[in-house]
Amino acid sequence: MNGKSVVVTGIATALSGVDGPADLAGGRPARPGAADPADALTGRGLRYADRATKLALCAARDALESAGLLAGGAVPEESTGVVVSSNYGNVDTFCDTVDAITRDTYLGTSPMRLPATASNVTASAVAIRFRLRGANVTLCNGPTSGIDAVHWARVLVAASRVERVLVIGVEPANRQVESLSGVPGHDLMDGAAGLVVESEAAARSRRAEVLAELGPYSRRADWAESVATVLPGGPGQVDLWCTPGGVDPGPRAVVDAAAHLDVTRLLGECSGALGVVQCVAGTAWLADGGGTVLATAGRGAPDDDAASAITLSRAGGRR
Amino acid sequence: MSWLITGTGAVSSIGGTVADMFDALRAGRSGVAPHRGFDPGRFRARNAYEIDDRPVGVLDAPGRTTNWLVEAIDQAVRDAGLDDRLDDVPILVGTTQREMRSVELHWRDGVPLDPRDAHFGTALSRRFGAGATYTVGNACAASLYALGLATDLLDLDAADTVVVAGADTITESIYGLLDRCYPLPPDAVRPFDRNRRGMIQGDGAAAVVLQRDAPGRGARTRLRGVEVNCDAVHPSAPDTGNIACTMRQAHARAGLHPRDVDLILLHGTGTVLNDDAEAEAVGEVFAGVDPFPRTTAIKSMTGHTAGASGLHSLITAVESLRTSTVTPTVGVDDPIEAVSGLRLVRDRAERAELAVAQVNSFGFGGLNAVALVEEVRG
Repeated sequence: MNGKSVVVTGIATALSGVDGPADLAGGRPARPGAADPADALTGRGLRYADRATKLALCAARDALESAGLLAGGAVPEESTGVVVSSNYGNVDTFCDTVDAITRDTYLGTSPMRLPATASNVTASAVAIRFRLRGANVTLCNGPTSGIDAVHWARVLVAASRVERVLVIGVEPANRQVESLSGVPGHDLMDGAAGLVVESEAAARSRRAEVLAELGPYSRRADWAESVATVLPGGPGQVDLWCTPGGVDPGPRAVVDAAAHLDVTRLLGECSGALGVVQCVAGTAWLADGGGTVLATAGRGAPDDDAASAITLSRAGGRR
Repeated sequence: MSWLITGTGAVSSIGGTVADMFDALRAGRSGVAPHRGFDPGRFRARNAYEIDDRPVGVLDAPGRTTNWLVEAIDQAVRDAGLDDRLDDVPILVGTTQREMRSVELHWRDGVPLDPRDAHFGTALSRRFGAGATYTVGNACAASLYALGLATDLLDLDAADTVVVAGADTITESIYGLLDRCYPLPPDAVRPFDRNRRGMIQGDGAAAVVLQRDAPGRGARTRLRGVEVNCDAVHPSAPDTGNIACTMRQAHARAGLHPRDVDLILLHGTGTVLNDDAEAEAVGEVFAGVDPFPRTTAIKSMTGHTAGASGLHSLITAVESLRTSTVTPTVGVDDPIEAVSGLRLVRDRAERAELAVAQVNSFGFGGLNAVALVEEVRG
């Protein structure tokens, strides 16, 4: 990857019972029974939007706001892209539609659900609402998808296709996702997280606060290899390790971390949203003191097809 | 900056290899037939462009999209003379529906499905040892969009070789929804015909091996550039102005002028909205170019292969450059006014000297991808 510095300038969550990224960084579990962020969403185009899209729109709005991109006018349209990560976002549309066909033939289907059969329905809705006309990418990449989305956002910026990318990780919890994933509903995350990834030069020119700088990234079939690639100094020391869900960090001695954070213990199984949630939590954590954060998602062979890893560090003195 | 296409692979309703598919396209042979994967009593529509490789005695089976994807990549990798261990080679897969047909069968019919097999990466890891695999769910523009992302990886020195693929099957949900949406079910895809009734889905997968330009790399085709963007206007309707803008930006990115383009592989879905918008945009961008580039579209033969369709068109362009042959658009009996100046090749293949081809691919959500390829001479 070329030397262009790519930084994080905005973070947000749309998770019931979580007030914001600092809650995740502090390891505070979601409060049960809290309001659903999607309930407060208003505006056009929501009537037929699926749950993943509504959650993503909440996180998108707050991430752009956090990056200072909504104040004083519209977001720079052509120079802003969107990358959305989700594995289960539109599973309900397919399941409901085949049910309707079985019950009432093709006449029982709802034409308004046709757009949601395309996996990019959420990324498209985010682009339309905020008029983001740059490259628009949807990643459905299994357990590593969220970290991979942050990587592709950086690629789009580094390759100068855009100056910044709004990255959203989102998963809905519903019985269709339960059926496919085999995870009980109460153990599934239902929400979204968002971050704005931007070239450092663009952030500086609009005097945005730089929250973190993105470090090396890797996706490899083998977990240890993936981590070793992003910690080139050898068995690495990091200040915070955001672990893949349900992994006991003890035996994974390749990382020497001062602190651990398993966001799935706070939110449930995060699937395609995991890496974005981790990067949002990690960025918030850096605000309290700095250092280096390692985020890893997917456990690699033989459990998963691969494992992804990325580091974030405090961008000191770069405001 | 430009890159080499060193290998291609394809499967579709009209052939299980690039050679077979191109022969069928050249002959104007269509893959349309009565659909065989769904209970016909639940639909008014009858036809589809299927690869009917289901096991005997089963109406439909899971995992077929993944199988075609692996087959297309295998062909492309062998064509490029690469080892089939792709540990260090990124693989990008463009798709609209991923393995959602398998999800439908699991949900409704209780067909067993390991959730890991709903994700293409699992099979790519198993078959090719690949770790850096990415499924890009960018609707019907997905595989050409992924090709653009691949050029960025090469451009940034993050890879030397990238495999780009596309794969999709016909889900019952989309088949039923289209049947519900169209006033009359289309019997076939008729791009740019006044009496077109809409698109019909097609099964298939496609793959290319994309490499940095280096001495000794035999390649017939060079990729000059891929432009991608998003209309950010409407969830399903295309935007003529932005399609035109994407083409102009693609030309600028490739360092080419509209007069350099000899052939345009149109997206051409046979829907009212796409064909009007695309034809108008092409007419506008290439206005005054004389002779006008030849134009054609493949979907009346392959059906709309969704996420794979961009690469199916690109591979057709590669073969057209190699053989100096423009494949015909069949099923156009009464062309719309907007294509009257477009030099659409109909009914019969044409021989032509071709150096540069443009490939259009558009998708739901206002996604646009336009690529330019040229023949490597000498």
